[in-house]
Amino acid sequence: MLRIESVLGSRSDPAMHEAIHHLEHHHAVEFVTVAVGDLDRRRLMARTDKGEEVAITLPRDQKLHDGAVLVLDHHRAVIVRAGEQRWLRFTPRSASDALELGYHAGNLHWRVRFDGEDLLVAQDGQASAYAARIEQLISGGRVEMSEEAE
Amino acid sequence: MDTRTSTHSPSPSRVGAARIGIGGPVGSGKTALIERLIPAFAARGVSLAIVTNDLVTAEDAERIRRSGLIDPARVAAVEAGACPHTVIREDPTLNIAAADDLEALFPDVELILIESGGDNLASTFSLDLVDWWMFVIDVAGGDDIPRKNGPGVLKCDLLVVNKTDLAPYVGVDLAAMAAQAATARAGRPMALTNCRSNEGVDAIADRIVSDVLFR
Ligand SMILES: Nc1nc2c(ncn2[C@@H]2O[C@H](COP(=O)(O)OP(=O)(O)OP(=O)(O)O)[C@@H](O)[C@H]2O)c(=O)[nH]1
Ligand SMILES: [Mg+2]
Repeated sequence: MLRIESVLGSRSDPAMHEAIHHLEHHHAVEFVTVAVGDLDRRRLMARTDKGEEVAITLPRDQKLHDGAVLVLDHHRAVIVRAGEQRWLRFTPRSASDALELGYHAGNLHWRVRFDGEDLLVAQDGQASAYAARIEQLISGGRVEMSEEAE
Repeated sequence: MDTRTSTHSPSPSRVGAARIGIGGPVGSGKTALIERLIPAFAARGVSLAIVTNDLVTAEDAERIRRSGLIDPARVAAVEAGACPHTVIREDPTLNIAAADDLEALFPDVELILIESGGDNLASTFSLDLVDWWMFVIDVAGGDDIPRKNGPGVLKCDLLVVNKTDLAPYVGVDLAAMAAQAATARAGRPMALTNCRSNEGVDAIADRIVSDVLFR
């Protein structure tokens, strides 16, 4: 098991970029995929794409992120890759439906993005759990929900 | 402050104690579980400290300090005011400070348990405050609680269903309640406990030692 106690930097850091690039040519770069919802954790068990277990424990002032470099030496690099964030698309029928949808999204602490006349909500768990929270809007045909990948 | 950076040596900032949240409705048995976990962690050689949150008193902290189970100085109280979820989610500053203080006072501490004030099923912990959290409900609260899809029940790392001893008295079918909870949580972990007679507590301590302390 690999034990990680700090983030060394970001793969885009100029100082690291070159070394990582070199290792890539030798197929010596491994990735640890971390679900978006787990990136905020300071303690986490994960696995590299080559199957090695990684126990991550970070100091309170550090955080994981997409591209965080966990290991970098002459033999290999281990880098965090953020998992895919799924989004739910909510399409309100009218301005008043949009107003009500917006109220609920805020009240429910949903993480949102705006896309024209649609509201995108970061999905964490089953889509049906989101639909259930705004059941009257959905069943009344006032808001439509669809799933999409980023 | 040391600001050296090197690609080949670890950063100088220190990995602190693991922090675990314990949330759940009023009276579900959060403090009772802590009182059971203290000796369980002692038996596993885990150095512990505790932060409790109460609305406007330090009732739970006083209760744990008086229990004789742990050095009273290792128990800190945070007064949450009217809004118990705010201090564990939106603005956990007070709890972070309390945990930091305990770590400074007791540098050997490996694990800090943070008990939230009793709240509703929507309360969740910020991952800035804790690394992992459990949500304690009890069978007397009704076997329909897992079906109500409260964010606390759905999102916690471990759902604890406490007071299993009361199931026959409140007409709760434990197996059915557990099955519904498993469905609602898409199979994520759950534990059944009876803090009166210390059932199910060792399994929780073991899980925390392996899943959070990685040993
Ligand atoms: N029968 C039974 N009673 C329990 C059990 N666990 C806790 N209790 C009782 O339930 C009551 C509430 O327990 P606490 O541990 O204070 O609950 P809490 O969740 O900390 O409560 P708050 O901090 O006020 O939200 C107490 O009277 C406990 O003795 C259990 O497993 N079985
Ligand atoms: Mg309590």
